[in-house]
Amino acid sequence: MKKLLHIAMNEILLLIKDKMAVVWMIILPLGMTVIAGFAFGGFSTESEAVVIDLPVVNHDGGEMAAVVLDIMSQTASLHIEMEYDEETARQLVTDGKRAGAVIIPSGFSSAISSGQPTALELIVAPGGQTAPLLEGMVRGVTSGFSSMQTTVDVAISEVQRATGSHDLDYEGISARVVEAVLVRQESPAVRTDVTTVGSSEEEDFNIFDQAIPGYAVMFAMFTVLSAAGGILDEKERGTFKRLLIAPIPRWSLLGGKLLAQFLMGVLQVTMMFVFGALVCGVHLGNSLLGLLLITLATCWATTSLGILLVAVIKSRKQIHPITTLVILGSAAIGGSWFPLFLMPKAVQQVARITLVAWAMEGYNRLMILGGSLADVWGNIGVLVLYGAICFVVGLKLFRFKEA
Amino acid sequence: MSVITVEDLHKHYGAVRAVDGVSFEVQKGEIFGFLGPNGAGKTTTIETIEGYRVPDSGRVTVLGFDPRKDGYEMKERIGIMLQETALYPDLRVSEVLRLFASYYRRAVDTDALLEMIGLQEKRKAFVRELSGGQRQRVAIALALINDPELIFLDEPTAGLDPQSRRATWNWIGRAREEGKTVFLTTHYIEEAEELCDRVAIIDHGVIIALDTPKRLMAGMEIESRIDFAIEGVLDGTSLESMPGVTKAQSEGQGAFMVFAADAQMALKSLIDLAEEEGFVLQGLTVEGATLEDVFIRLTGRRIRA
Repeated sequence: MKKLLHIAMNEILLLIKDKMAVVWMIILPLGMTVIAGFAFGGFSTESEAVVIDLPVVNHDGGEMAAVVLDIMSQTASLHIEMEYDEETARQLVTDGKRAGAVIIPSGFSSAISSGQPTALELIVAPGGQTAPLLEGMVRGVTSGFSSMQTTVDVAISEVQRATGSHDLDYEGISARVVEAVLVRQESPAVRTDVTTVGSSEEEDFNIFDQAIPGYAVMFAMFTVLSAAGGILDEKERGTFKRLLIAPIPRWSLLGGKLLAQFLMGVLQVTMMFVFGALVCGVHLGNSLLGLLLITLATCWATTSLGILLVAVIKSRKQIHPITTLVILGSAAIGGSWFPLFLMPKAVQQVARITLVAWAMEGYNRLMILGGSLADVWGNIGVLVLYGAICFVVGLKLFRFKEA
Repeated sequence: MSVITVEDLHKHYGAVRAVDGVSFEVQKGEIFGFLGPNGAGKTTTIETIEGYRVPDSGRVTVLGFDPRKDGYEMKERIGIMLQETALYPDLRVSEVLRLFASYYRRAVDTDALLEMIGLQEKRKAFVRELSGGQRQRVAIALALINDPELIFLDEPTAGLDPQSRRATWNWIGRAREEGKTVFLTTHYIEEAEELCDRVAIIDHGVIIALDTPKRLMAGMEIESRIDFAIEGVLDGTSLESMPGVTKAQSEGQGAFMVFAADAQMALKSLIDLAEEEGFVLQGLTVEGATLEDVFIRLTGRRIRA
């Protein structure tokens, strides 16, 4: 055991002496995480509302067109631009400079008032992500007018049936209904009450709640697998043979190196979380023990994956591209860059083969969804099992000697 | 008392018989030289004795231990200097020594060891900053760090300047005086002659000679060796027909080597031949029998060929 610790200490000593390795292990992950956080809108405790610039061309100029503009102006997510003519508005959308534009046709107000069919024209670029949002908003306006026309039609036909009079002022009634609707908007008869459920952390989502664990896991994999690759480096350099001819039991030799890799991984993830909590306002959730256990299980699984890769791969030159592929591939589909639950179902299923997915699901449950230790026991168990399988197979295949 | 016993050792790599029935013993307190050209089976034999490789068949005991079964205990009592000076470039010399000292139950004082190998002023230096010779000395220090009873030295003076080589010979001689046994592999024939009590020569995986250097030289009844180069043209076959010459061979690029039972007669014949054929003799040297001659006679090539 003493020799195992000596081997581990030597590994850590060698790492500390390698300044580039320290940069790779600490500064790079923190830098990358901060950049990613900024890119996705980090350092904002409240998510800023998205405001869409929407050119509106008013060919009508009537009372109902004014109502349309009034409703749109009151929509917080829209910034109405009246200064463009129709051709310019269409060109802005075509050029991708605006997500969409609305054309109010000539005769819109009179058609509404007289109960005739009419339409607002919404121009959108194909494939735009905000197109459905704009369509929904404009449909909301047009369906309001449709409802109003229906209301007026029903009201007039009922009055005609009751009174037998056919001399009713359709436009006047329509105008009064519009006026009444606008007044009612202040205190609607039927409201939509929005209730937010879950812990307070959920309401105050911080992008770093995703970025910190995501990048911590990814860079811990880089550190641990790179250190594992160091065993191949030592084999090629001859220092591994130098250790083998010393009276060191093989389990101590390999165990010491794995212990060092494991500890480096844990240290790196811990530093990332400390930085995240102190600088980026990361929410550590309700269970620090859960975070610790997920971290330990993740680093164990990563260390074991490292020994498996070193056992299977023949040379240092081969291990670098393979580990890079494994790390970036599993980070991409495993939820390091985006929460797993936002990904398509098929990707979520495939991602289950990666340890990153199990780790990130655990971190997401604790830090974003406000879960407790009980919610992540499954993730911890899978990671421990994942590590155990890799460890046993890796140990079985590992060659202490080359011939 | 036998410290190393090797009996009928075999090790094959596919169709290649790296070691093919090697047997010998090394006695306590002697310096045992193991000579052979590259690919002769030296390294495989040594690494099997050290417990690094598993033989196909045969028996090896070191200090009474079977390296395969009792390797851990055996390693506590032996010191090994590898042919490649594999050290951690980013560690300081003192850190390397302390690190490896920590792996042994018994270790000597690292400062004393540094003083002995003449690297005390380099104790704070990084390994990467050392010259090849200095690294070689650190490797020797690592082989001595556990005060071993038996030391394996694989090419201990390769690449060293003459002064460092002489210093290394002194350390090896001192180790013998302290009662340690040394198993030495070397390409330097003069090193084997100077240091070794007995020498084994291995070729094609087989021990072809094993005795003291003096007996090997005497047993071969080796003649004097005349080395020379020529300026001009010479048919090598005419050398062998000269009076007093027993064997002649071309060394390439106008150099020749002639073995003569009667050196005086052979020299006279050579000078006569030069005048007759019209070539000029250059760099002519005459040497008595050496271990190199034994090696050449047995293997047909120079040890460093």
